[in-house]
Amino acid sequence: MNVLLFAGLTLRELVRRRLVAAVALLTVAIVGFTAWGLHRLATAVVDGAPIAEPGVRAVAAGIVIMLAFLFSFVIALGAALVAAPAMAESIANGEILAVLARPVRRAEIALGRWAGTVVAIALYVAVAGGLELLVVRAITGYVPPHPLHALAYLAGAGAVVTTAAIALAARLPALAAGIVAALMFGLAWIGGIVESIGLALGNARLADAGTIVALIFPSDALWRGALYALQPAIFTAAAANANASGTAVNPFSVTSPPPPMLLAWACGWIVAVLAAGIAAFRTRDL
Amino acid sequence: MPDDAIVAHGLAKRYGRIDALRDLTLRVARGECLGFLGPNGAGKSTAVKMLVGLVRPTGGGAEVLGKPVGDRATRARIGYLPELFRYPDWLAAREVLAFHARLLRLTEAAPAIDAVLGEVGLRERAGDRVGTYSKGMQQRLGLAVALLGAPEIVFLDEPTSALDPVGRSDVRALIERLRARGTTVFLNSHLLGEVERVCDRVCVVDRGRVVAEGTVDALTGAAHGVRVQLDDGWHAFDCAPADVPDLIARLVREGARIHAVEPNQSTLEDRFLALVNHA
Repeated sequence: MNVLLFAGLTLRELVRRRLVAAVALLTVAIVGFTAWGLHRLATAVVDGAPIAEPGVRAVAAGIVIMLAFLFSFVIALGAALVAAPAMAESIANGEILAVLARPVRRAEIALGRWAGTVVAIALYVAVAGGLELLVVRAITGYVPPHPLHALAYLAGAGAVVTTAAIALAARLPALAAGIVAALMFGLAWIGGIVESIGLALGNARLADAGTIVALIFPSDALWRGALYALQPAIFTAAAANANASGTAVNPFSVTSPPPPMLLAWACGWIVAVLAAGIAAFRTRDL
Repeated sequence: MPDDAIVAHGLAKRYGRIDALRDLTLRVARGECLGFLGPNGAGKSTAVKMLVGLVRPTGGGAEVLGKPVGDRATRARIGYLPELFRYPDWLAAREVLAFHARLLRLTEAAPAIDAVLGEVGLRERAGDRVGTYSKGMQQRLGLAVALLGAPEIVFLDEPTSALDPVGRSDVRALIERLRARGTTVFLNSHLLGEVERVCDRVCVVDRGRVVAEGTVDALTGAAHGVRVQLDDGWHAFDCAPADVPDLIARLVREGARIHAVEPNQSTLEDRFLALVNHA
């Protein structure tokens, strides 16, 4: 009950502070810009003839993956910058003192802040990502193989960053918690690249290092899930061929979705890190 | 004892090598108004935070309303105005109170909110965002939050720090009303005159230790002799209270012109300064 109260408070704050309005405006601008670019592509004339439909779709598929990549960083930054202040600022400025004197568990506050941020991020992913994919389909006719899976994976990556930011903010100031959570997302992405390079070159140490990073911060595994869900079969086949020959490493293509065990690990990681954050918050003197 | 609102025994808090509070032992009866005094850094706010369950003691223990400090159900029966009062500036005062009413699970929230808004004089501005409030108005909101749900005990940590003289007078009247209702008041304040006027008992802490405790009269000492204002200024005369009329008669007989007579009693401020060694 109290968890919902704090989740609702988090969402109301985002609306009242006009963050939702600002993000909505920016999203419309970005989608509009993408639509303009895709339209130019679909109507472009090369050597006196329009680009063939398969060509347009292949380029659109690449653009969708690039947009998703940028989108994943926006989601990670957004999650870190929303979750960390939601938790840490009320502690730093004393707002939480009168609240905690009520019959409230500290866990309820942390869970409520987490849930509010995750819902906000998931809504943003669904609306902004969904809108972008609809525009791509309307203009180029291209639909990724598993668009809903891709959005779910991206929201999952946002949930991982949110979890880290909330747990860190239980003890650290908002700025430090937000920056560390966002940096961990970037490091995890680099870890994923290292793993790809290790696998392509047959270097077990590099591959293991990447795997360890993925286990420490599982956002990259979820990004790869989104990538797999977005890339057409021909991209997957090309990536498999490149890997088999050891000729190229492409950080924007994968050959398989993340294994179920890794997804289970990501879920378990979220529960464990959130529990650690709650424990840290419960023992903190205010 | 069942009539005790607060019982603390050897309550202590240590941050690293610093003792914020050492061996706080006190009892506050139900319905009593206790003034908790001390200079900056004496450990007053730490003590209050421990009693409302925000800070974990490193020694000793305490009970509030018969339950160990921090007991969740008991927290529904206490009100707390923190020294660092701050409320979400994007919410209206009424929304802040509605949020706290939901935390308290109040069934009749709207009339309770109206009542506390009226009590602190904020009803006219209840729909305005907290961000538009002056510091004094925010402190009034903090008082309203503390009073919501008719708590049995109210911890007020510097309740008048941001208030003008009118606001301070309002808070004194408010504390008087709380006492009349039987609410226990734990008043942490720097304003000694305020404490002297409204508190039944006073506890003085300095450098983390209790240095004095008792009624205001007991602390300031009973009147000993009188001070008499003559033509050339004030003069102190040491005599028992019963001998004061004879003393005045004698002075008049001797031709002295008496302008005023008052008990030769130290103020709480005199006593406080002596206790904390800052006189």
